[in-house]
Amino acid sequence: MNALLKPLAPVLACCGLLAAWQLASLGLKNDSFPTALDSLRAIPPILTDKESLINILASLRRMAIGFALALSFAIPLGLLMGRSRSMAAFFNPLLMLIYPVPKAALMPIIMLWLGVGDISKTLVIFLGVSLPVIYHSFEGAKAVEEKMLWSGAAMGLSPGERLLRIVLPAALPEILTGCRTGIVLALITMVTSEMIARQSGAGNILFNALDMGQYDTVFAMIIIIGAMGICLDAAFEVIRRWLVRWSEPQFDMPLSFS
Amino acid sequence: MRTKLMLAAWAAIALGSSAAPALAQQTIRVGWTIPAEESKYWMMKRPTEFPDLGKTYNIEWTQFQGTAPMTQALAAGALDCATQAPLSLSNGVVGGGLKAYIVAQHVYEKPGGFSVYWAVKDDSPIKTIADLKGKTVGISVIGGGTQGPFNMLLKQAGLDPAKDIKLVEVGFAVSEDALRQGRVDAVNMNQPFAARAEAKGGTRKLFQLSEAMPNIVHILEACRADFVDKNPELVKAYVRDITAGMKKALANRDETLKVVSEVMKAPVAVIDTYLLKDNDFGRDPVAAPNFPAIQKMLDIYAETGMLPKLDVAQFKHPTIVAPIQ
Repeated sequence: MNALLKPLAPVLACCGLLAAWQLASLGLKNDSFPTALDSLRAIPPILTDKESLINILASLRRMAIGFALALSFAIPLGLLMGRSRSMAAFFNPLLMLIYPVPKAALMPIIMLWLGVGDISKTLVIFLGVSLPVIYHSFEGAKAVEEKMLWSGAAMGLSPGERLLRIVLPAALPEILTGCRTGIVLALITMVTSEMIARQSGAGNILFNALDMGQYDTVFAMIIIIGAMGICLDAAFEVIRRWLVRWSEPQFDMPLSFS
Repeated sequence: MRTKLMLAAWAAIALGSSAAPALAQQTIRVGWTIPAEESKYWMMKRPTEFPDLGKTYNIEWTQFQGTAPMTQALAAGALDCATQAPLSLSNGVVGGGLKAYIVAQHVYEKPGGFSVYWAVKDDSPIKTIADLKGKTVGISVIGGGTQGPFNMLLKQAGLDPAKDIKLVEVGFAVSEDALRQGRVDAVNMNQPFAARAEAKGGTRKLFQLSEAMPNIVHILEACRADFVDKNPELVKAYVRDITAGMKKALANRDETLKVVSEVMKAPVAVIDTYLLKDNDFGRDPVAAPNFPAIQKMLDIYAETGMLPKLDVAQFKHPTIVAPIQ
């Protein structure tokens, strides 16, 4: 019975959520809270409209660029901080200062510096992703056993080689946990970066619909963005498991559909 | 031979680099928002209708959430031209050091046409503005363009806008819901939401902004003064197209409905309930700004303490202003 229920659990959870939403909407009779069915009905017109798809792809492109740039910056920095006390002492206060600031709140300022185009939005995504990845890379690198590094040094590895061949693989499970958080934050900042100024993007559809009071489209976009998050998370989880299959715990609490 | 080739290559590079700034100037960075900018929507969605657009100059369109962020973007030089409300533009001048020209006008409150109004429920005991004392009143943007005339009407009715009512921010899109569910006692309504609420019934108009003054200008087109002074011909071409766009929008309502529907992603049936009808805002046939009306608004903002005294003449360019034919 358990074996049968396990794969169905996410589907049942979704159905339960949709049923609760449907009942709540019918009960509240509020124009700004459409029923689940109305919202689901609004999805196909969005996904079959060429312009809407171009908008969604434009957002995903910015998100991919911001995410890639963030990883290429945050992982080396986090590893260095984890293995160098002076690096950690220099960057930690700065990061602690920036960490709690909502990155989307920086958008108006960034917009004034870098204009209203893609660079500003990509920078907001970059900032959103960088911090958790730095933190997890830092923690991962810090936890590497000294004995392993001594062994590496004894075998003639340079500091750079030790970082690349010992610290990076050992910290990888923790780094990938940061990346997983980073994906979610990339998705959030991707949408919020389009809130104030936009030329294209998923936020374009969402916030236009909000301005026009088309709440079925608003909720349809929320579902689409949520589904994008689930798909990205599932895809990342496949990659993560493949990369760190050696470190998998025996029992893992499922946090996503993957 | 080799030297000649090198010289030719350098000459080509030099020519290219000297031409590059001139070409770069041919793009105007324009901010826009929804709703009520039909001439710009035509330029966006029907560019082939405008002979110069895409040929002698280009537009880089960026959509904004309201006029205030566009004021900041203009002041920072991130935009060249943008939709503005008289208040947001003036705030940019006063607080942000912005220098700009009003080059065209999008919509205003024509006598007999739609005027932004405050609605109450049919069964509400509120019958006059004075009855708002102690009530919760919704406004689309606190400190926004409608608040000046609104404050003035409250004062005329003997109410202190700061003390006698509880003012809360309620976006136009959710104002009908907020009123029907009793979250506010009165709320301001704008199109297309007003038409939708009126069709459903159960609400009534308490007062409208035109009671404070006629011909209120809601949104206009402004361009940075330094950009206009540096690129007069380019801005002229842009204003010429805004003039032409307004003419097209008014001349062909059926097509305008389609254009607006494409921009707003709203069904034509919804837009058809109000757009370019008697229950819509007014549009000058050639998008000409009504400077005396804007001055009157600036005076109201000064009277209600929202702005220092300003002269509209500072926003007027001697030649670059709609209509440009």
